[in-house]
Amino acid sequence: MKCDWVRQNILFYVYNEIEDDARYEVEQHLARCPECATELKATRKFHAVFSETVAEPTPNLLASSRMRLQEALETAHTGGFWQRLIFEPAAWLRQVRMAPALAAAIFIVGFGGGIGATYNFLASRPAITEANIGGTTDPLTHSPSVDASSIAGIRSVTQEPGSNQVTIKYDTVLTKEEQGPLNDQNIQQLLLYAARNNYNSGVRMDSVDVLTQAPNDTRVREALLYALQNDTNPGVRLKALDGLSSFVQQDPQVRDGILRALISDTNSGVRLQALRLVEPLKADSNVRSVLTRLSQTDQNPSIRSQARTMLAQMPEMD
Amino acid sequence: MPADSCALAIAVGENYRQRRAEQHSGIRNPTLYGNQRGSLAAHSNRIDDTSLIREAQQGNRAAFEVLVRHYDQSVLRLALHLTGSETDAQDVYQEAFLKAYKNLGSFRFECSFYTWIYRIVTNLCLDHLRKRNVRKEDAPVAVDASGEEYSRIEQFADVRSGANPERDLMRRELGKKIGAALDILTPRERMVFELKHYHGLKLRTVGEMLNTTEETAKNTLFRATQKLRGVLAEMR
Repeated sequence: MKCDWVRQNILFYVYNEIEDDARYEVEQHLARCPECATELKATRKFHAVFSETVAEPTPNLLASSRMRLQEALETAHTGGFWQRLIFEPAAWLRQVRMAPALAAAIFIVGFGGGIGATYNFLASRPAITEANIGGTTDPLTHSPSVDASSIAGIRSVTQEPGSNQVTIKYDTVLTKEEQGPLNDQNIQQLLLYAARNNYNSGVRMDSVDVLTQAPNDTRVREALLYALQNDTNPGVRLKALDGLSSFVQQDPQVRDGILRALISDTNSGVRLQALRLVEPLKADSNVRSVLTRLSQTDQNPSIRSQARTMLAQMPEMD
Repeated sequence: MPADSCALAIAVGENYRQRRAEQHSGIRNPTLYGNQRGSLAAHSNRIDDTSLIREAQQGNRAAFEVLVRHYDQSVLRLALHLTGSETDAQDVYQEAFLKAYKNLGSFRFECSFYTWIYRIVTNLCLDHLRKRNVRKEDAPVAVDASGEEYSRIEQFADVRSGANPERDLMRRELGKKIGAALDILTPRERMVFELKHYHGLKLRTVGEMLNTTEETAKNTLFRATQKLRGVLAEMR
């Protein structure tokens, strides 16, 4: 009777698919039963036969497959991810951080009045002005009048051939004010821009603070994730974490962003907060592997011990 | 952070090379695959992939290509074993990774990228196997230089060592038998056997990849091995 059961399981024993208690039973039985031991030998032989003489891909085949794929990829499109284009300017903007006037020129102008006033926000925005300058005596007689202190930069100077007409394109700094409710498109756009680009950390913090009130928009979530990953000020990063906290469980992108912060943020306060946020997910295997790493390599002893505690509370399920 | 990602990349490389070495050595210790799955290196592999996948989802093709490198040897192996032809294997490889590239946006990390890509490849191979079963009767038989018929799998039996022609012949004969034996399995049986035996995957994973349960995968493996043993016994 027992032999039947053992015979059924010998295959899984050989393939290591057998549960531990069953394995024990099988081994015990095999030690005493010569017929079943023969069956084991036969199964192992079968296993060995099929492990030889198998055609494997040659290096040539792999190389040519890779090349073909590369060529095909060049003409393929990922499709559907162009929402990322909205934030592409941000990458460029990062580079021109020291010239906020020029940078803000990218945003499309079109601010209308706000409806009601629940939040004030100050924005700096340049205007590109073309000034035709004729004559040689007083170059600044034509309107619009140019206040030298508001010049942000000269873009181009071109002279009409064979004349004394010169065309100069220059940027000016124009301070404007926009008022509106949180869900106003323009307000949102300005907030997102401010969170990423403003050189004043106070302003960045304020804008992130406001954004945390409206994180249902995926762009807002992305801005918060961006701030978490890239802002130089830890206070801003903490604010961003706050804003993302309610979305850790449902949005894998948020979860991954927070995991990344756990590994690489230089500020232990931020890491501690991030650790607290992933607590409800401690059974997730991605989270677990990060926790394992943290418990061993994080510089902060409190973080290490908290990570260890979390791991202990939820035993390995693999 | 850059230092960390370098360290991770090295860990991935080591783990991957080790697995490949084991796969090719012919020494099959059944417990080895089980342990590897739980190692930290495998987990680090997954963190590494996460950032690569994110990058790729944003349109970074270079990141996708690195991601491909992590898996493409196993994928090509799988395709070659199941189709028996280099050309078909290459086609499956191409189709699978292009499909992955196009559908990367719908990958939401609900499973590992490994499982996801394997699902794509197994589905393509299953389609291929089913098509081939239908056409078996009128499939043109390959004929070699001496006018003898041979099955396509034999084409790739190991004939590297010219030093021992007798052994080569035996290996080719055996390869032929194995090929013929595998041919009698149904596409699903073939797939389960391939994934378990040649790729060392846990039956639970196999179930996931084929959209079925571990129990079903177990039963399928049992049936497949019974059939194979029967055929082999007859051949001797």
